[in-house]
Amino acid sequence: MTSLIRAFGGPLTCLILFFSGVWVLGLIAAPQIIMIDKSLWRMERPVGAAELSVQIDGLYNRLDLLALDRSTVADQPEKLAAIDTETSTIQAQIADLERAETTPVKTYTLDNFRQMGAAHFAIFVRTILASLAVSALALVVCYPIAFAVAQLKTARTAALIMLMLVVPYAINELLRIFAWQMLLGPNGPVNAVLSALGLPAVPFLESGAGVFIAMVYAYILFMVFPLYNVLETLDKNQIEAARDLGAPVWQIHRRVVIPHARPGIAVGCIMTFMLSVGSYSVPYIMTRGTAAPWFTQLIYNRFFEATNWNVGAAYALSLLIVCMIFVFLMMRLLKVSLKDIAK
Amino acid sequence: MTGQTIGMEIELQRASVRFNRFQAVQPTDLTIRAGEFFSILGPSGCGKTTLLRMISGFLEPTEGDVRIGGRSMLGLGPSDRPTALIFQNLALFPLMTVWENVAFGLEMRGWPRAKRRARAEELLATVALADHAGKLPDQLSGGQRQRAAIARALAVEPAVLLLDEPLSALDLKLRQHMRAELKQIQARTGITFVYITHDQGEALTMSDRVAVMNKGQIIQIGAPARIYDHPGDSFVATFVGEMNALPCKLTESGPIAQCETPLGLLRASNPNALPASSDAMLFIRPERLRPLSPGEEAENTLPARVTRRDMEGAWSMIVTEAQGRKLLVNMPNDGRGAPPEGEVRLGFEAAEALILPKGEISHD
Amino acid sequence: MTHSPRGGRQAGDLVLHVYMLLFFAYMFLPLIAMMLAGVNDYSPPSITVWKGFTLRWFSALWQDARMWSGLANSLMIAGAVVALSLPMGLAGALLLSKLGRRSAGLLYIIMVSPLLTPGLIIGIATVTLWSQLGVSGGVLTAILAQSAFISAYAMLMFMARLQRQDITLEEAALDLGATPARAFRRITLPFLRPTMISAAVIAFLQSFENYNTTIFSIGGDHTLVTEIGARMRFGISPMINAIGIIFVALTVICAVLWGVLRKRGIARQA
Repeated sequence: MTSLIRAFGGPLTCLILFFSGVWVLGLIAAPQIIMIDKSLWRMERPVGAAELSVQIDGLYNRLDLLALDRSTVADQPEKLAAIDTETSTIQAQIADLERAETTPVKTYTLDNFRQMGAAHFAIFVRTILASLAVSALALVVCYPIAFAVAQLKTARTAALIMLMLVVPYAINELLRIFAWQMLLGPNGPVNAVLSALGLPAVPFLESGAGVFIAMVYAYILFMVFPLYNVLETLDKNQIEAARDLGAPVWQIHRRVVIPHARPGIAVGCIMTFMLSVGSYSVPYIMTRGTAAPWFTQLIYNRFFEATNWNVGAAYALSLLIVCMIFVFLMMRLLKVSLKDIAK
Repeated sequence: MTGQTIGMEIELQRASVRFNRFQAVQPTDLTIRAGEFFSILGPSGCGKTTLLRMISGFLEPTEGDVRIGGRSMLGLGPSDRPTALIFQNLALFPLMTVWENVAFGLEMRGWPRAKRRARAEELLATVALADHAGKLPDQLSGGQRQRAAIARALAVEPAVLLLDEPLSALDLKLRQHMRAELKQIQARTGITFVYITHDQGEALTMSDRVAVMNKGQIIQIGAPARIYDHPGDSFVATFVGEMNALPCKLTESGPIAQCETPLGLLRASNPNALPASSDAMLFIRPERLRPLSPGEEAENTLPARVTRRDMEGAWSMIVTEAQGRKLLVNMPNDGRGAPPEGEVRLGFEAAEALILPKGEISHD
Repeated sequence: MTHSPRGGRQAGDLVLHVYMLLFFAYMFLPLIAMMLAGVNDYSPPSITVWKGFTLRWFSALWQDARMWSGLANSLMIAGAVVALSLPMGLAGALLLSKLGRRSAGLLYIIMVSPLLTPGLIIGIATVTLWSQLGVSGGVLTAILAQSAFISAYAMLMFMARLQRQDITLEEAALDLGATPARAFRRITLPFLRPTMISAAVIAFLQSFENYNTTIFSIGGDHTLVTEIGARMRFGISPMINAIGIIFVALTVICAVLWGVLRKRGIARQA
């Protein structure tokens, strides 16, 4: 704090603390805390609801009795007035008790998570597994590409190839997905080729295969760039040296290139996994609602269709925890720090 | 120059700096006189830059006091002290033109633009940069940038100018030229200069007085000639200038002592009055050691063998070997010719060699 | 058959080159197919049935009011996100640069966490918070949700730049009599200016192109991109392909421009 004031002076320090505070507390921490909180409670029938209803029944009986009494004393104005006041107080009492009986109470519970029945849990697991597969596939496909581009010697070719990678990367995610909707559609070119070969048509969009294919396509470039960035910094002489010492190609990669690429692999895997597991656009566009949903679609439904925000928050939190575990595992497995990742 | 700038005295009173457990500067008492060109000479990491930062206000002393012009500087930041610092990398602002750089201190003091521009051009003229006022620092040569940095520091009319090895990035010729120029500016302005360097040549040529520093401590302060001719201990003896050193054991005390060395019994002056049988070192400068012609005698003589001769223009460095020890001999190129390779007798007078207590040797 | 090591390497290079060629075909062919369908006079979008060249999907797009209102929303949101995330990212970077190692470490984790969080969770959390405060999902919540993670990009960019700053420059300014605030304004801010421009561009594009966070935080409103997403689901009109052509064209132009500018920048530095 004093070092801040010394470095920036009072007013500027105030500004810095204000903006950092708005960001860290207002935009990052508070929303997450409220979401976590929301996932941990729900509105329930009050605990004493049964006794209340007995009590209410008793009061209704008393009202009936009073109505009877009223008919017998119709000619005595004083008694009539007394009965009327009692009737109205009882009616007010009943209204209060009924409100207490039906007004739900905020109760902390883990039930929101248990709401995820076997069907939803299966979707949850399938989403995670499919996302892992997307990441793995992306890594396998992209590693040679990133390596080849990083090895390019002439600056011109390298610049051109970078441009060719940047363009599809920068094109909106939705368009990259949409391109595949037509290709894989029932009347699309892929099925046209299949039928020309005398093969049966494949219902890509309806089976969920389309989701997987489009997802790999949409997120694969998030693997290329982190890999390229680390491989570019690898001293080419190291590869030459390994080759000179008689290492076969796969050993060069295992002992020299891959160890150097660890941070890039970690970042690439984290990015592709996170984008896949949290993708709403790909399943939304690629299934037309026909295939089994992705977990993100369940979350969307809880929030904006079933409007059960507590369960929705619990689902979202589950997804966040999975991502955190994945990030942690990657960092542990590849021995990289957060600083290496956030670059 | 407008506004007479007069150098101020700097006084350190038991001032020390400690970073966590590392004692960068030992408690130091030091007085730098007003208007003096004072150098602090020491190997890298000896604490001299820390000392400078303490004077300039970037660091507070952990203990003790820093006084400038008789006033305690404790609690005052660099902007409130009558000092200006010239950084090792000069720290010229790359996005400002040369004149804006020079006028920066005036801008901070609220001078109107026209006035500070005029003053900046005046200063630039005194350092022969008048034609470069509108350029960016990157467009200047090394020496020009040097002078721009000096003009920028002088613009705030400091009483003390602190220089942190500002010449280290220049090539030899330019460095020698800039030394003369700095000395001139110092004489002209009367500002106290505190000059930090690890280059003994710089310290010896420019300074009125030199402080030799090692391991956070000032070991010796004195005029350049005094430091060179009468080093106070083995570190100063070996760090400042070339020096031949021999381990020895005194056999006879006195102002001129006799001692036993691996090369035999030798006599040398004994300023510390070391008693007989103490372990010590004998030091002799290469230029005080001379090859003896046949029949010529000296107070001390040593048999040696010339292994190499390096002709360096005005003088020659002769590398000799005696009992496996390297001895350097410096000879003026006065036409007598250096001895040929092979056996030679070396001699020196006792008063020109020093016996000092055994201590740290600089291997610079 | 035996290969000399050299022949083996050449064969390896050939395989790698063919692989790259295939990869780029995989990258570009789907996009080209999508663009072709945008000028095919046939609906739903198709390239298997070719009815001839047309520009009528563009004119349909021109007349689509929801697309225009989406574009207006997108621009407004992106502008606000830039205005928010630049000062927040800069403040975060400056704060981190002056804090002790331990507290900076924790704060850093919190600040980059939005980059490691799926976008939809940021969107949902923001809407959840603001509905509690009586603000329902809309343009405002979309701005706040996007700013949460876009500020992190800005922060990282500013941090990288600050780490490259020579600290002696600020010290020199202080030594010449500047107050810390003035040294910051006169020395550090101008040094950060190029990063401000690039951070603003990145923040704008990130916001404009964002789908995942936005769809979960925008409530009943829509941006251009969420509207495109909604229309894509059933892929009925090649109008979407026409939009695709525009997006691709803009992207290519920007990428080439960026490449040229970068090359110039390098040339100027040399």
